[in-house]
Amino acid sequence: MSHGAPSSGIALPPLRPGPHTRRLDTIALVATFGGLLFGYDTGVINGALEPMKQDLGLTAYTEGLVTATLLIGAAIGALGCGKLNDTLGRKKTLTLLAVIFFVGTAGAVFAPNLAVMLPSRFILGFAVGGASVTVPVYLAELAPTERRGALSGRNELAIVVGQMLAFIINALIAMLWGHHEGVWRYMLAVCAIPAVFLFIGMLKMPESPRWLISKGRHGDALDVLMQVRSEDRARAEMAEVEQLAEEEAEAQTGGWSDLAIGWVRHIMIAAIVLAMAQQLTGINSVMYYGSQLLVVAGFEQSAALIANIVPGVIAVIGSAICLFVLIDRVPRRTLIIGGLIATTTCHGLIVLASMLIPDGIVKAYAILFFVVAFVFCMQLALNVPVWVCLSELFPLRMRGFGMGLSVLVLWVTNAIVAFSFPILVEITGITGSFLVFFVAGLLFVFLLWKLLPNTSGRSLEELEEAFAQGDFH
Amino acid sequence: MTVMVAVPDSEEGLRALEAGIAEAQDRGTGLVVVNLTLGELDRSMLPEDLSVEVVERHGRADRDPAATVLHALDAHPDVDRLVIGVARRSAVGKLVLGSISQQLILQANVPVLCVKLPSSR
Repeated sequence: MSHGAPSSGIALPPLRPGPHTRRLDTIALVATFGGLLFGYDTGVINGALEPMKQDLGLTAYTEGLVTATLLIGAAIGALGCGKLNDTLGRKKTLTLLAVIFFVGTAGAVFAPNLAVMLPSRFILGFAVGGASVTVPVYLAELAPTERRGALSGRNELAIVVGQMLAFIINALIAMLWGHHEGVWRYMLAVCAIPAVFLFIGMLKMPESPRWLISKGRHGDALDVLMQVRSEDRARAEMAEVEQLAEEEAEAQTGGWSDLAIGWVRHIMIAAIVLAMAQQLTGINSVMYYGSQLLVVAGFEQSAALIANIVPGVIAVIGSAICLFVLIDRVPRRTLIIGGLIATTTCHGLIVLASMLIPDGIVKAYAILFFVVAFVFCMQLALNVPVWVCLSELFPLRMRGFGMGLSVLVLWVTNAIVAFSFPILVEITGITGSFLVFFVAGLLFVFLLWKLLPNTSGRSLEELEEAFAQGDFH
Repeated sequence: MTVMVAVPDSEEGLRALEAGIAEAQDRGTGLVVVNLTLGELDRSMLPEDLSVEVVERHGRADRDPAATVLHALDAHPDVDRLVIGVARRSAVGKLVLGSISQQLILQANVPVLCVKLPSSR
């Protein structure tokens, strides 16, 4: 989930089609299974929780815990795998992650109680977080400059597609075997399928040329490039790859002590506020607890699972429109703040619908409609644009530390919201929980309005210069 | 004999650079500038007749600016004076960020010239 691969000034011969293009497509497809897995594993809990709740005797508190342990694991996986990526290489890391995915899935599927379920979810989370940092790096390092943006975008799309597939397959399983005891085990078991594909696929994939060069294995790096580029292009790219490896080292320069500088502190705070704003829209509450939310709204259990597919499909459509239409046309700041105003409005409408419409099917459909509108606005303006904006905010020498800290804050906020949401719904219902999101939305619209600079339409160097002079607009 | 100056991205960094240039000119020596900012050093302040070497921060090993300066000192055994800028820090700032000046004053193996901002209380 990172963007903004640095561009180099090295002139390269144009991309030409050939047998190597097919090889590159296969690599992208296999690595995208990482994104798909990520989406499927975070989304599968939505639908599996309700039967699991009865089976394992979960309370609102332990229900939040089952969801949040995966996210805590993901935060740790995202942090730890950066290091693993550098020592083991991208290929070995991804292969290892596929195995961890498999182990975590098996643990969760056969868990007799919470004592097995929680550690399994944590292990699964580690793999999810690890994949979220490794897959985009691997894709970006193998893709030619011209296709790099499109490939990282494809990973974002794979995540929402994975969530949608989880919702659809959960609904199907519930329809077919809903009367079986422990039907949630079938749902969780499906997660193993993309993990197996990722594992088998990764065994045949080449290592990233950039990593090979960073280890001084220039010959091996050229071999890989020859597989995925025409020969003249491969030779020309060796120089580019070396320069990018150099830039990557440069990105790790800044750290805590640089926060003593006023303008650096300003962008760090803006980035943290942005990460929190994205998660406090409660998007993942809908992605993790959507079907239960719809039951509270007034749907029958079986109808809720089917209705839950709608936000999943809309999320894919919103992300696709964002990637292919909006992201390069609307200024980043406008898109993000506009998106947050739109999602906050949806939250207000959900609160009103929940408060004013009498219980019944009309209320259920009204809430479903506003939830779907919320998910659409969110995916349209606050998912990919937030990631792109985060990667553009920091000057090169601060990027490693700055992105690392913001992504950590993002995961932790996600975990806190995911843990509290079922408790909040139990105590205050839909009205109270969405009122919290509404108020948080208002606050963050104000904060972003004050703090967030516009990062699009200017080169990263121009941005850095403007920020250093205290110009954040 | 050479003078080394540490230049962070701040007012006291600029003061240090000024003082470092003056010190090198006074003593008729060269100047090693350790650029601790996150960007390029503004070279317009450097006089043309002064022999200047710039040391950049690069990579994770240079995440701690004090370590960068101490390494640069090790790599330049001819340096016999270090110039740094110092400023008052709040207690919280010191706790969170530590004091780079203190580390340099205590750990540098050459005499350290500290320059204060003119209007300090």
